[in-house]
Amino acid sequence: MKGNIKKRIVKDRQMYLLLFPVILFFIIWHYIPMWGARIAFQDVMYIGANKWVGLKHFQLLFSSPVFLKVFINTVIISSMKMFLIFPLPILLAFMLNEVNSHNFRKSVQSVIYLPHFLSWVVIAGLFISLLASPEGVVNQIRIFFHLKPISYMTSTKHIRWVFVFSEVWRSIGWDSILYIAAINSIAPALYEAATIDGATHFQQAVNITLPAIIPTIITVFILNLGFFMNAGFDQVFNMMNDAVINHVDIIDTYVYRVGLMQGNYSLGTSAGLFKGIIGLVLILSTDKLSRKVTGEGVW
Amino acid sequence: MKRFWITLLILVVMSGLVFAGGQKDSSSSVTAGNEVTTIRIVGKDFSPTEDVNLLFLKKVQAGFETYSGQKVNLELVQVPDGAYAEKLNLMLMGGDIPDLIYFQGGDEAVSKQGLLVDLTEYVAGSKVMQSKLQEFNKQRMANYPYLLWLAPPRARIALVREDWFTEGGGKIPVTVDDYYNLFKTIKSNHPDAFVMTATGSTSRMDFTFDHAFGLTATWIKQGGSFVYKKVSDAEKSKLAFYQKLYAEGLFDKDYVTTKWDTMEDKLYTNKVGMVFGTSGVVCDIYDTKLKDTQGVGLIALPPAKGVGQGYSVSTAKETRGWAISTTSKNPELVFKFLEYMATDEGQLTDRYGIEGVHYTVDNGVYAFTDKKSEWWPRINEVMTYNGPLPALGDLGAESWDFLGKYVVGDPDFPIPSDMAPTWDALTNLYKEYSFKIITGEYSIDKFDDFVKEWYDLGGDKITEYAQGMF
Repeated sequence: MKGNIKKRIVKDRQMYLLLFPVILFFIIWHYIPMWGARIAFQDVMYIGANKWVGLKHFQLLFSSPVFLKVFINTVIISSMKMFLIFPLPILLAFMLNEVNSHNFRKSVQSVIYLPHFLSWVVIAGLFISLLASPEGVVNQIRIFFHLKPISYMTSTKHIRWVFVFSEVWRSIGWDSILYIAAINSIAPALYEAATIDGATHFQQAVNITLPAIIPTIITVFILNLGFFMNAGFDQVFNMMNDAVINHVDIIDTYVYRVGLMQGNYSLGTSAGLFKGIIGLVLILSTDKLSRKVTGEGVW
Repeated sequence: MKRFWITLLILVVMSGLVFAGGQKDSSSSVTAGNEVTTIRIVGKDFSPTEDVNLLFLKKVQAGFETYSGQKVNLELVQVPDGAYAEKLNLMLMGGDIPDLIYFQGGDEAVSKQGLLVDLTEYVAGSKVMQSKLQEFNKQRMANYPYLLWLAPPRARIALVREDWFTEGGGKIPVTVDDYYNLFKTIKSNHPDAFVMTATGSTSRMDFTFDHAFGLTATWIKQGGSFVYKKVSDAEKSKLAFYQKLYAEGLFDKDYVTTKWDTMEDKLYTNKVGMVFGTSGVVCDIYDTKLKDTQGVGLIALPPAKGVGQGYSVSTAKETRGWAISTTSKNPELVFKFLEYMATDEGQLTDRYGIEGVHYTVDNGVYAFTDKKSEWWPRINEVMTYNGPLPALGDLGAESWDFLGKYVVGDPDFPIPSDMAPTWDALTNLYKEYSFKIITGEYSIDKFDDFVKEWYDLGGDKITEYAQGMF
């Protein structure tokens, strides 16, 4: 076995040479910094060695009167995004696949990719203007239809839906790229044979396209679960306000205020570690479950 | 062979990309050499990549060399992009500790570890500083001797459109009722506009109304003990007043989603007639922009008079300012630099900018150029400085006069770091309740529920801690 690996490396040495900087990049920027996570168990000293304090910062994090609320907000917002938004790029990819005009398809793709390149500062400003009460466009439409204007940005009932909608608007196009690529890699002969057999477009989509991209869907889903506790700092930070703060305050915004802004990096790191462990557990358990149920996993 | 060289080339290019962004080691501090002493300075929006900052530094350096009789090299340190307080602390944690550091929050964690020089003796021994520091600065330094900040207190001044104010009778309001009557008159003259707006919370307005309702400090006496002002009876009365303003269309319905830029936009587009601006040059900027867009200026209004009258200014500590690091090899010289910047000569450069760019001197006559509006003091803004030209416009100067008349010391204290999570929760609780009360979603009676919840959530422990602080 060892000999095989050596032989393979020698044989494909140029490929391994090309891979080397990438491996080095991950070691330097992703694995070595993990060692820095130990400050979650230390008091950071600007001069001299850090002091080991055990679970002090975790205790401080969990003992906060709002931690449970912040944790629940994170889970709710993440779940809404994960389960409601996840199928949409797949549907979009299916719909684009059915468009016959090449130019039209490319134009639509270009337009829906664009919001991905806007920062959340800009998007927040846009949505605050669009949803303002009563002068925002959305409320003007409601008024036109004799409906009462709604202050979406300050309503605790609506604000999480604003997050979901704005996230969809921003990322649906970009997230569909992988699925479009997966669909494009399906052999055209399969569709031709299905057409000859008299299959409708819907039947082709269900029986050819969907099974062919299921491995991609599963991989993306499991990888997304790893980021489950990242409910979207930039989005929440830019869209939150005093009226809704207790309904949208997530772990990241809480840590930013109480940890980073006050120079309490150990508290911030302990929260990051906590999130990371949850993400790791979710990835490993979903991968195992997926292997059992579908025979497909990430690795 | 050709394939090998191509692979090697790609490898080199990729390695370059991987390691791009690496930083030059800049661990040197003050290096008191035989000839030139380097002072490394880090400040907010004070980047070494901007020519104007380098020109400023060059001029300051020449003046300081004469003042100190020593050759110096002033060197600006670049802070990574992002929130300044956060990036600065990360930089310090990384071991890059300049000699002179500007803090805008996050300094307590640093000073607790002995990284900042206690400035008490330096300030006490400096005639310049003694003459330039305001009373509230001295009180702050007595409580927390690590930050030095020569600048006016950041009180927010009520500013109303001159034409709308004149239409409303043109009489400066004194009491809360006077203010209310003025607001009603403005609203009846301009029914499509709101009288005033704020930015996300009522904190700007509070400067005008807090004292009138008896909220004269962060912790006030009530029933024989100190209570946090936000859970006091006086706060309840104030919120009831704000609720009335909101219900009658006097206060912007969208104040909670309004940011500082949209606040200004509302003023310049006739959507509101009154805003609350930071005293000094900010008032001048609003005034100039309103004149440019609507052809009319602003009037500054004093704080309302009631139980008290004034602007609370915390005397606990400076919330921002300059600190000298204990790793500096020459703290005396660094302090002397701060001292020089407080002198009239230092202030001339700091307040006026670069000669030929921001101002001109013709036969001893000073004149500002159009670019003056792009300049702001990089180090200090001494309130008592009288230069050859007034650095503030009429409105800005008037707002400073208000500070002189109405600033009241607030013997606040910093919340200990182990109580910070609780304090954050209590602050958020107030934010939600106050919004719902002001907008009418909750009746004012709900304030009592808020107070109970506030104490139950941990406010009782902080209140107990506060009793020992006075």
